[in-house]
Amino acid sequence: MKKTSSFNSAAFRFALLIAGLFAVGSIVLLTIVEHSLRAYAAEATAVGLRSELAVLTEDWPDGGKQEVIDSIRRRQRSAFEQPFHYLLLDADSKRLAGDLPVTAARPGWGRVTFVDDRPQLGEPSDAETFQTLGTRLSDGSLLVVATDTFDVQSVRHRLVAFTIGSSIALTILALIGGYLIGLMFLRRLDRVNGAVARIMSGDMTERLPAIGMSAEFDHLSTNLNAMLDRIAALMEGLRQVSTDIAHDLRTPLTRLQQRLEAMRGSESEAAYETGISDALTQIGEIHVIFRALLRIGQIEGGERGSLVRIDLSELMRRLEEAYQPVAEDAGKTLRAAIDDGIAVVGDAELIAQLLTNLIDNALVHTPPGTNITFALHEGAAGVVVMVSDNGPGVPADQHGKILRRFYRLDQSRHTPGAGLGLALVASIAALHGAELLLEDNEPGLRIHLRFAAAACS
Amino acid sequence: MKLLLLEDDDATRSHIEKALTSAGHVVDVCLTGPDAVFLASSNEYSVIILDRMVPELDGLSALKQLRAQGVSTPAILLTGMDGIRDRVEGLEGGADDYLVKPFATTELVARVAALARRPPSVDAITMLRVGDLELDLLKRTVSRAGRRIELQAQEMKLLEYLMRHKGEVVTRTMMLENVWSFHFDPQTNLIESHMSRLRAKIDRGFDADLIHTIRGSGYRIEASPP
Repeated sequence: MKKTSSFNSAAFRFALLIAGLFAVGSIVLLTIVEHSLRAYAAEATAVGLRSELAVLTEDWPDGGKQEVIDSIRRRQRSAFEQPFHYLLLDADSKRLAGDLPVTAARPGWGRVTFVDDRPQLGEPSDAETFQTLGTRLSDGSLLVVATDTFDVQSVRHRLVAFTIGSSIALTILALIGGYLIGLMFLRRLDRVNGAVARIMSGDMTERLPAIGMSAEFDHLSTNLNAMLDRIAALMEGLRQVSTDIAHDLRTPLTRLQQRLEAMRGSESEAAYETGISDALTQIGEIHVIFRALLRIGQIEGGERGSLVRIDLSELMRRLEEAYQPVAEDAGKTLRAAIDDGIAVVGDAELIAQLLTNLIDNALVHTPPGTNITFALHEGAAGVVVMVSDNGPGVPADQHGKILRRFYRLDQSRHTPGAGLGLALVASIAALHGAELLLEDNEPGLRIHLRFAAAACS
Repeated sequence: MKLLLLEDDDATRSHIEKALTSAGHVVDVCLTGPDAVFLASSNEYSVIILDRMVPELDGLSALKQLRAQGVSTPAILLTGMDGIRDRVEGLEGGADDYLVKPFATTELVARVAALARRPPSVDAITMLRVGDLELDLLKRTVSRAGRRIELQAQEMKLLEYLMRHKGEVVTRTMMLENVWSFHFDPQTNLIESHMSRLRAKIDRGFDADLIHTIRGSGYRIEASPP
């Protein structure tokens, strides 16, 4: 049997899928957060630069250029950490104030990268990128204000690092989890596969263990076991039929062979005629046995025609009428006690066969003078068909056995039949969920058949 | 009568063909379903006999095709499939009769005759006659030579079936199927008991017997001796 590795298991593949989805989700989330952050930071920087530029140029018309230069110098000398850097160039591009490199000299928005010569405490002075905003003053000089974007960059870097780190960690966790769950699942399935292997190698008594994990898996193994029970029952039926055919057709076939052998060397044509007739009768009996066996096999395999509502009262009256002359010819009486309007649901042909088999049995296996009663009534327990006789009866310990195939009582060995009539009755009753009871009629045999009543339609 | 026989097994085919030819029929034979469809749709046959298990296109499918083409020739299916559903399937597929293998050829010959002479419309007939025996289908009364004969319901059904097939052999199986709707063989002498009573009522006290036993086959009702 093929074995599955844990890496190949559905649980592991599922974990892999979840991890992949999580990674994609993280990337999307990070992109959105980063985009929002960038937009917010850009907006905050722009507002800061605009207001600083506005403050510096506020006194421009009155105080003139010197006022702006003083303002810049005051800010640069301040003991407090200043977020801004400045550059003031006159119309000839000569630096008047500020510490920004001249590369930053441009009106409007821009960016410049340089080493801050005022490093913050404890921080290395690396080249940084600054956002710049420049404006031309009325005398043609250029004022540029810059602020760093370092804080935003740093937050972004940390965010990316955190997201990547947590994604990797979660992915690894998901994979380990998936692997372990897969492993646990496979271990449980291994027990099931082991049981399946034993069943496949011919042990039909083996059943699947509970899978565990969850109720639905246990429900699955329960259902599979029920299916195996059904298959085992069908196989047993098949084996039984094969055995029966092999074993019980031998007797009539042997008789046939003897008849044909006896015909050899017959002198007269009449003897030949008789021999052929006997042989054909024998073959007819073999067909009857064969058909009955196949039919029992089919019925026990659950095969039936369509289920319909059968007027059992009417059917039994017809059978009574059909069998009255037969009983009379055999020197027996057939009395019917049939209540009106009783119906059952079933396969009409099989029910008819069941009832004729019961009457046939009562007629065939009893001596002349026997009274046979054929009754139908409906009570709280359901619909009851009863066929009874006051013949020799059947010993109580044989009641179960006479329902078996080919089982024949010693007293009925001399009567026609192959011992399949009641076996067929039992299988048809079982197919219809009807209860079959054999009782002592003191004297004789009484057969009860209890059906569930058909719902009124 | 002209018959079509679809049967792929050589021994069975020649055996059936011989039996039908002896009974005075002309038999066309074919070995495959498509051939049967072609022959039956391009010729006038009285009855088509189809084996169910043949190569290329099985007998039942061939019959369904013919029925779809509007060919309403009576058809008998021969089959080894004795399943509970198989017969219903065959009859629903357009077969008029269904014979399970193995069967006696006399049974097949009797059924072919019964099918071929089936009156086109049974409703139009109100009176059945065989010699001086009359069965009034409307009043459900029987009389012979003007004398009323009382019959029980099942005896009436049995007589009606025999009279509808007057001059033909009616087998025990045909009676069981058509009069009692039994598709199985009871262990007891059901047919014999009823036939002996019917005979006593129909033939006893009259000069000529109308009901005849055909040894090894069944019964026949006819006015002239067989």
